[in-house]
Amino acid sequence: MFGLIGHSTSFEDAKRKASLLGFDHIADGDLDVWCTAPPQLVENVEVKSATGISIEGSYIDSCFVPEMLSRFKTARRKVLNAMELAQKKGINITALGGFTSIIFENFNLLQHKQIRNTSLEWERFTTGNTHTAWVICKQLEINAPRIGIDLKKATVAVIGATGDIGSAVCRWLINKTGISELLMVARQQEPLALLQKELDGGTVTSLDEALPQADIVVWVASMPKTIEIDTENLKKPCLMIDGGYPKNLDEKFQGENIHVLKGGIVEFFNDIGWNMMELAEMQNPQREMFACFAEAMILEFEKCHTNFSWGRNNISLEKMEFIGAASLKHGFSAIGLDKQPKVLTV
Amino acid sequence: MHNELKINDMQTLESNKKTIEESNNSISLNLPDFTTDSYKDAYSRINAIVIEGEQEAHDNYISIATLIPNEIEELTKLARMEMKHKKGFTACGRNLGVEADMEFAKKFFSKLHGNFQIALEKGNLTTCLLIQAILIEAFAISAYNVYIRVADPFAKKITEGVVKDEYLHLNYGQEWLKENLSTCKEELMEANKVNLPLIKKMLDEVADDASVLAMDREELMEEFMIAYQDTLMEIGLDNREIARMAMAAIV
Repeated sequence: MFGLIGHSTSFEDAKRKASLLGFDHIADGDLDVWCTAPPQLVENVEVKSATGISIEGSYIDSCFVPEMLSRFKTARRKVLNAMELAQKKGINITALGGFTSIIFENFNLLQHKQIRNTSLEWERFTTGNTHTAWVICKQLEINAPRIGIDLKKATVAVIGATGDIGSAVCRWLINKTGISELLMVARQQEPLALLQKELDGGTVTSLDEALPQADIVVWVASMPKTIEIDTENLKKPCLMIDGGYPKNLDEKFQGENIHVLKGGIVEFFNDIGWNMMELAEMQNPQREMFACFAEAMILEFEKCHTNFSWGRNNISLEKMEFIGAASLKHGFSAIGLDKQPKVLTV
Repeated sequence: MHNELKINDMQTLESNKKTIEESNNSISLNLPDFTTDSYKDAYSRINAIVIEGEQEAHDNYISIATLIPNEIEELTKLARMEMKHKKGFTACGRNLGVEADMEFAKKFFSKLHGNFQIALEKGNLTTCLLIQAILIEAFAISAYNVYIRVADPFAKKITEGVVKDEYLHLNYGQEWLKENLSTCKEELMEANKVNLPLIKKMLDEVADDASVLAMDREELMEEFMIAYQDTLMEIGLDNREIARMAMAAIV
């Protein structure tokens, strides 16, 4: 059994979905009611791999909504309760989707192992970050040439380079792609220097300096709201990969020859027959999903029951290669630019 | 618009990072001062509710046994456990030098107590089990789970022992209702509609005192809903039926 822990993109959205699913007691409730709502196992599904193996899984809505981010105790409970439910249902490997893995990391939930009469077994959970990082790298390698960017001559900027996904992407780019130059941007300078030392490459720089130089920009950090981007200063063509959560880059970067790609999204080779990705607002909800969710499925297909992606800075090239090969084998592919023929003109 | 909102939220996460870290550091230190007058005053009522709750649970299981005589042995065993819990919680009060306000507690339970007695007289076993084995037990488990996190060391140990037993009790009512679901569903729904709002009221009534003990109202309610939902799920009700039943808690 694999599991996916997710949440709605907003409170309004959550209420609408609850109403559709028949959860009237929370659909009609205010935010306070949602703060006291238990996690819900919304859907069970069977998925058949391209190799023919079948697995079963469940989608658990944590009843968290982004409006709860300012209530850290509530947010913490939502994630832990959803994890407890997954474990109680006997699910072998569960991916923490959307904000839930961010909350787990930032709110340091590792110290909350005991939830009521359940002792959480971390090996049953994965952040899915290894697969997300691999998918972002593949999206970069496949789509840059499509818009006329030669990787050998390309300068790539990674914004949020010290994060779990960001550092893995840098590692891959330096070692596996032969790009011309890597620019690394992050808020904290100390881990950035450490990363540079580890990679023995890459240039540490600021966002303002990086953007006009980059042919490709990988965003794996949230963008500050106040940021003003002058698209005139960007290189053309330019590939922007939106690997953060939530995906909100396309509003900031509109212009001719600026190509924005939703990063870390994969497509399955077959219709899955579930409703849960409609909840996640995918373009083709029967096949598309977050790469982190797909990681739980891949691990279940591979009978690899371990917290494959866990903690920070543990993503090695070997792990990315392993999950990438398994991803392709079971029928997943990274979504590309042709999925979104949205070359925007102002 | 939508995306703008999301950017805002993300910022909230970042800007709260400091508070979050601070709060995390104080998790284990965040215990109330057990020696203040205000703590003891609130404790006199909360402790009384717990003691009275365990006494009522004892009486209720003995009463339920009169409706299912062949279960008398099992139910007597459960009842005896409740008396053991009562003794434990009495010791918790004594340990803090607090005298439990039993009069307050009797009044606190009076409505639910009355409904149980009426159901008992009519021989409505389903209603009796819903009140005692589901609602009261889930209420107790939720309160104990939250209390454990902020209790004094003596009370913490006692409460941890009690919680293990209480899960067994929840299980007892659950098993009977599961076996008899086809014939008892209607009564279960009706009884729930009448009694779940009482639990909600009781929770509201105790919220201020609970917060003095560092027990958060939101957390209490959530713990209750989790225990309640779990039990109904185990009994064999589906998501929609549970949602319909839980509605009674928010109106």
